[in-house]
Order: sequence, then C-alpha cells, then structure tokens
Amino acid sequence: MAPVLLPRSRKPVSLLTALAAALVGLAASATPAMALSLNPEAGSPGIEKVNTLHWILFVVLVIVVVAVNLAILRAARPRTRHHVRAEGKAPSQLKVGIGLGVVAVAIFVTATVFSDKSREVPASVQTVAGLDQGRPLPIRTTGQQWLWRFDYPNGAFSYRRLVVPTGVTVALGLRSIDVVHGWNVPSLTGKAQAVPGKTNTVYFRADEEGVHKGRSSVLNGQGYSTMQIEVDVVSPQEYESFIAQQKADIQDAQDTVEKEIASN
Amino acid sequence: MSTYPTTVPPTRPELSSQGPKSRPARWIELATSPDHKVISLLLVSAAFGSIFLAALELLLTRAQLAIPENVFLNAVTFDRLLSVYGTTSIFLIALPLVLGLLYYVVPLQIGARGTALPRLGQIGLWLFIFGGFLLYGSFLFTPPEAGINPLPPFSELAFTPNNGVDVWIGATGLVTLGLLLVAIDLITTLHNLRAPGMAWRRAPFFAWAARIVTCLFVVVAPIFLAAITMLMLDRRYGGGFFAGSEGGSPILWQHFSNIFFTAVYMIVAVGFLAAIAEIVQTFTGREIQGRKTVIGSLVAIAVVGTLAWTQNMVTAPIPSGWKYYGMIMSIALIVPVGLIFYNLISTVAASDFHMRAPLRFALGALSLASLGLAVEVIHSTVAIGTQLSETYDAWAATHFALIGFVLFGGFAAISYWYPKMTGVQLNEDRSRISFQVMFLGAVVALLPLFAAGLEGQVTDAYRFYGDQGVDVWNLIASIGTLILFVGVVLAVGNLIKSREEEPAVTPDPWGGDSLEWLALSPPPAHNFDVLPDVRSTRPMRDIREAVRRRDSEATAASESQPVA
Repeated sequence: MAPVLLPRSRKPVSLLTALAAALVGLAASATPAMALSLNPEAGSPGIEKVNTLHWILFVVLVIVVVAVNLAILRAARPRTRHHVRAEGKAPSQLKVGIGLGVVAVAIFVTATVFSDKSREVPASVQTVAGLDQGRPLPIRTTGQQWLWRFDYPNGAFSYRRLVVPTGVTVALGLRSIDVVHGWNVPSLTGKAQAVPGKTNTVYFRADEEGVHKGRSSVLNGQGYSTMQIEVDVVSPQEYESFIAQQKADIQDAQDTVEKEIASN
Repeated sequence: MSTYPTTVPPTRPELSSQGPKSRPARWIELATSPDHKVISLLLVSAAFGSIFLAALELLLTRAQLAIPENVFLNAVTFDRLLSVYGTTSIFLIALPLVLGLLYYVVPLQIGARGTALPRLGQIGLWLFIFGGFLLYGSFLFTPPEAGINPLPPFSELAFTPNNGVDVWIGATGLVTLGLLLVAIDLITTLHNLRAPGMAWRRAPFFAWAARIVTCLFVVVAPIFLAAITMLMLDRRYGGGFFAGSEGGSPILWQHFSNIFFTAVYMIVAVGFLAAIAEIVQTFTGREIQGRKTVIGSLVAIAVVGTLAWTQNMVTAPIPSGWKYYGMIMSIALIVPVGLIFYNLISTVAASDFHMRAPLRFALGALSLASLGLAVEVIHSTVAIGTQLSETYDAWAATHFALIGFVLFGGFAAISYWYPKMTGVQLNEDRSRISFQVMFLGAVVALLPLFAAGLEGQVTDAYRFYGDQGVDVWNLIASIGTLILFVGVVLAVGNLIKSREEEPAVTPDPWGGDSLEWLALSPPPAHNFDVLPDVRSTRPMRDIREAVRRRDSEATAASESQPVA
C-alpha cells in the first residue's frame, strides 16, 4: 500500500508563508531601528570595540537569519501534487560542515580580537592629584542592598553617584558586603558582578565629559529596580575639587555628630 | 467539524490485535499503572497544563511591564510570578515534555513491549507530581521569589528569610529526581529491549535523541541535586558552601547551576530537533538527507553545548580563560546546529509534501529557533556578553530559541503523535489557527524586546522608567504576549476538545517510517502482538511493501484460478 494520501488543506501554506514573511519583514524593518539603538554613544575606548564587534556580528546575524527563513519559506511554498523538484546533486555533508566551520572560525577570531581589545587596560592620558604614575586610579566600589558606595583614594566617599576625571584610567574594585550585585553601566564599562568575598576589577577610561546612567543587573531583592548608578565624567580639576569638597563635607558632618554626642 | 477525512480502512489485521474497544481507565488505574504509556501521558498532560500556567504568569508580568512605572504588581508579587514562571518553564514544561514524549514513543519505536524498570518510571512520575504540587501549593503560603536561578548569598537564609527558596529547592529537587528515574528506566530499556535487528545504525532519530538526552540528564541531574542539597544545608543546617563570609564560594553555585541549565537547554534542543527530523521524514516521505550527520550533530550539540556553560558567567569574577573557553564552545555549536538546519530544510525543499499541523509547527519551530540561536552566538562572545547579558536582548534570544523548540516543537510533536496516543486525529483547522496566532504572538512579543535590551533594559526588574526610551518596545511586547497567550489557550484547548470530537483513526494515519505506527492507536498494554525483524532504518515502509507484495500475489493467484 502506498503511503496514505491525505488531502491538502484548503490553503496549504499560504498563511504560514504570510507569517514567516512577516517575521522576515519585521526583522528587516526592525534592523534600522535596532541599529540606531546599538549603544549610540560609547563613552570609553573599550566600549567602542564592543560596539564595532556588535556591528559586524549584527550584519552577519541579519544575513544568516533572513537567509535561513527565506529557505524555510521556499521549502514550505505550496506546490502541486505532481510537481517534483528537479534534483540537483546536493553538496556533500563534509563540504557544508567545512563551510560552517570556516564561518565559526572567522567569528571566533573576530570575536577574540575585539574582546581582547575591549578588555585592554588603557593608559592614562591625563593625571590627577594622588595618582601613582603609570597606575590606574583605584576607586573601591561596594555594592549593598540597594545602593553603591564609592571610596576614592583620598578617603572621600560617595553613594549612588560616581565622579571620575576624563583621560584617567580608573580601576573600579567591585566588591559586595551582602549579596551578588551586577555592576552595569552600558556606555562606559559593560557589566561585572560584585561578589562577596571577591574583588572583581573593571578598568575604563572616559574621554569626554558627560553623565552615564546604569542599573544593577542581578536580581537582588525588592529594591532591585531602584538600584541605579550615575557616573559623572568631569575634568581632572573638577574631580580634584569634588573629592576635596566631599572629604571636607564628610569631615564637617563627622565633627558635628561628634560634637552632638559629646554635648549629650 | 473537520473537513479532512481522517480514516482509512485497516490494512494489516494480522499485525495488531483489533481487540474490543477498551473502556476509559479509572483514575486509580492511571495512578498505579507502571505502563510507560500511561506514565508519559500524565507527564505530557502536566507539561501542557503547565504551558497554560506559564503563559498566564508571563502575561501578568508583561502586563506590569506594559507601561513605565506601572503599579499593577508590587515588587514582591512580580518577583514571585517571575520565579514561578521560570521554574515552571524549565521543570514543569521543558523537561517533562521532552522526557515524557521520549518515554512514550521510544519504547514503541525500538519495538519494546514495555520498559525495563517500569516501577522506576512510576516512582519518577509521582516524585514529579509532588514537585509540581509543592511549587503551586506554595501560593498558599510563600512562593519562591529569588528568581529562576536563585544566586547565593541572596538565596541564603539571611537575605531571603522566608520559605520561598526552600519551596524552590524542594520542588526542583523532586522534579529532577523523578525525571532522573524516568531517564534511567529509558536508558535501560534502550540498551536491553530493542527488537530483533534494531541496531543503533537503524534506530530512528527520536530513539537516538532518547539515548543522548537520557545520558546527558543522568550526568547533569546529580550535579544540580548536589547543588540544591548544599543550598538547603546552607539555609537550614548551618552549612557554608556558598557563603563567602564562612569560607564558601558563591561562584561555585553559579558553576553548578549553569552546567545544569545549559544542559537543559541542550536536552530541549536535541529532543525537539530529533522530533522535527521524524516529522520531516514522515511528511516528505523520504529519508532525511545526511542521516548520520544529523545524528552525529545531535550528539555534538549535547556534549559541546553543555561544556559551554561558562558563557553564562561572563560577568562573574572568574579567570578570563573560563570565559574564552565558553565562547569557543558556543561558537563551535554553529557547525552541528547549521548542519541539522541545512539537512532538514533541504529535505523539505526537495520533496513533495502535505502541509499538516505537525509539519507546520515544525517549520515554525525552525524559523523561531534560527533567530534565537543566531543571537545566542553573538551573546556568547566575551565582549558582547559583558555588554548585553542580563538584558532583554539576551532574554528575547533565549525565549526565541526555547519558545521555538519547546512550544512549537512541543506542539509539532504532540500533533504528530496525538493519533498514536489517543486514537483520534487532532483537529486540523483549529491546529492551523492556533499555530498562526501563536506564531504571530511569539514574534510580536519577543522582537521588540531585542530593541529594549539594546537600550539597556535589564531583566527581572519589576518596573522601568520613562526616561529609558523603551516604552514603545515594552508596550508592543505586552500586546504580543496577550496574542501568544490566546494562541496557547487555543492550542491547549484543541488538545482537550479533539479527543472528544474527532473520529477514530487507523494505527498509521501519516504513513510513518518507524515502528510506533505498527502498534494500535492507542497501543495495548503490551504494545505489540507481533514484532517484525528490523532490516532497515524505515521498518514500517518495509512492512507496507511486504503487505502490498503479498496482497498483489494473492490477487494474482486468485485471478489465475479458473472460476468453478
């Protein structure tokens, strides 16, 4: 007995075709929209490399996904019962495998080169008071539920808002006093976890003055969505006056509290 | 009423006992049956019920995220729904659906009259059921709220001092242990009870998937069980495995849990790619191009994909060698995944076929998964991983791949084997409509989230702010989720309605190639009266040809007889 013949549905694949076409069309039309929002402004040399790599792979992605979906569409196209495709000789599995392998190696090499470059520690091009020559500016960054604390080298500290000088390489020593927190400032550093008991160091150099916003990226409790980060990039002079002012304010507050305690 | 005739006359009365119609089983018979078909029907039914629940939870969380600074849900409720949604998707949908389908179909495919260790499967089912009840019973007191992968120290007692994480540990532990027992039964069956002539080189794709998936699960499930036991000891019995302050390491948990969750991803991919291969082979009527390549690629996906677990830890403070290692393994997956897609799509393209529900869902699954997997490759690179992991870009990529495999692959598989399991055909019109609604919903719900993720929106946050520039993307995604939910309701409803309404079918409604189509629909407790010698990769085609040859010989013989 021949394989059981089932009647075709009324419109066999036209709606599948329409939907898959919609997917391809949406992917194609969403491309410019998404491309515009690919981390528009990179605030540090490392993130520029990340964005370049993303651009390259994004183009490869769009080509591959559109090609695969068009192939699925073509394969699913309605055809008459007696229409049999002319069968050319299919390329051997080995050839296809080697082709895919070449693509994989190409992506791997590109990704490794750009990943290495994006992780390079940039050299400082300017200097600020208290900076050891040839070493990055160490700022100890502590995550806690649900804010960040920044300890500057001169003893000043700030919460939520980090102030860094332009042109100076900064080493953020991420640590946590309670749970795992996700450091995440997309336009400046990317992401890194602050894990209790460990120090995860993030290096970056911001070249232009401006404000960079970030949000914590690891679920850490009810205040998670409010745990925001603001990084102000200012000139070295402004940075120096900021930490001096901050230190003086902290000292003032300390003195006031001590005076009150003493007077009580 | 369906416009498609779904019955053909019985063809091989000598091969299957056309016994009297069996009465519906009583619940106590279902509950105590060690029959692999009953056990896996319950597993698969639970999975489809859970698909409805997960879609509902996703819809509620998306409703909260429809507009900026929404006050529909508070942070705790959102976190609970999110955690239960993720746990349901992995432990109550993906795993039982894959293992349940394998546990039903594969013993039939290899010509076994049952499983080797049936009581093990029965215990497994009950552990699974208790796990599911524990997870949803927790809504009566405290559901889990620490996320799908509750990272210590946040999941330690000091920071989550309620029963939520304990419930999560108990539920996932029971489910994993139960499915581990099912997997052990399946491995034993595969290695001991194959029909005469069913060498591995002749085994169907789905039987190969069973071998790969069960071996992988037996390797990774104990890792996960050990990890949650350590977490339980940490929380309640003074352990210090993951507490940094007591000499433990929170990173250890991330390794353990990522090995397991990455392996689950690969189990789902292997299981449903194999199911799609079966469907393509049946509906195109020709053997999948490059059969050995496809099977080898399934093995490679399981092994290499699981070894890529560190690509999920690219932001953690681990040596960068680990991160590059994860990247190499992920990018290497391009070769096996690409070969499978190439061979499946070319087989369809080179053939004449009937577009029916299983093939439609299968092609939809390949379409969605192609996008998800391609974006996953981008995210596996170290530079972009540090930039985009934990954003909605990564979330949408994973969901494209897993909704493709689990939801569309799952409905492809269930509509393909539905006649075997129930004895009736799935309603074709309703299947087509539910496919269209689900496909539209999935695309509209997920595609805008790529843009939101590129803008930097992080996952798991119960609200976002108007200044992030992601308002419109979130609104579209929430509308898409509503469409997806409607599609899921239609599709699950079709599974329930068709059983009552549709006419009965013959054992082999699709003209399939593997031995499960030899058994009656639904198969009797002993599966087969007679087992043929397997002589090729397509034993049912051999049987059909033998029957046809014998019939024509009989006709010729009767015609040559002079009429008395």
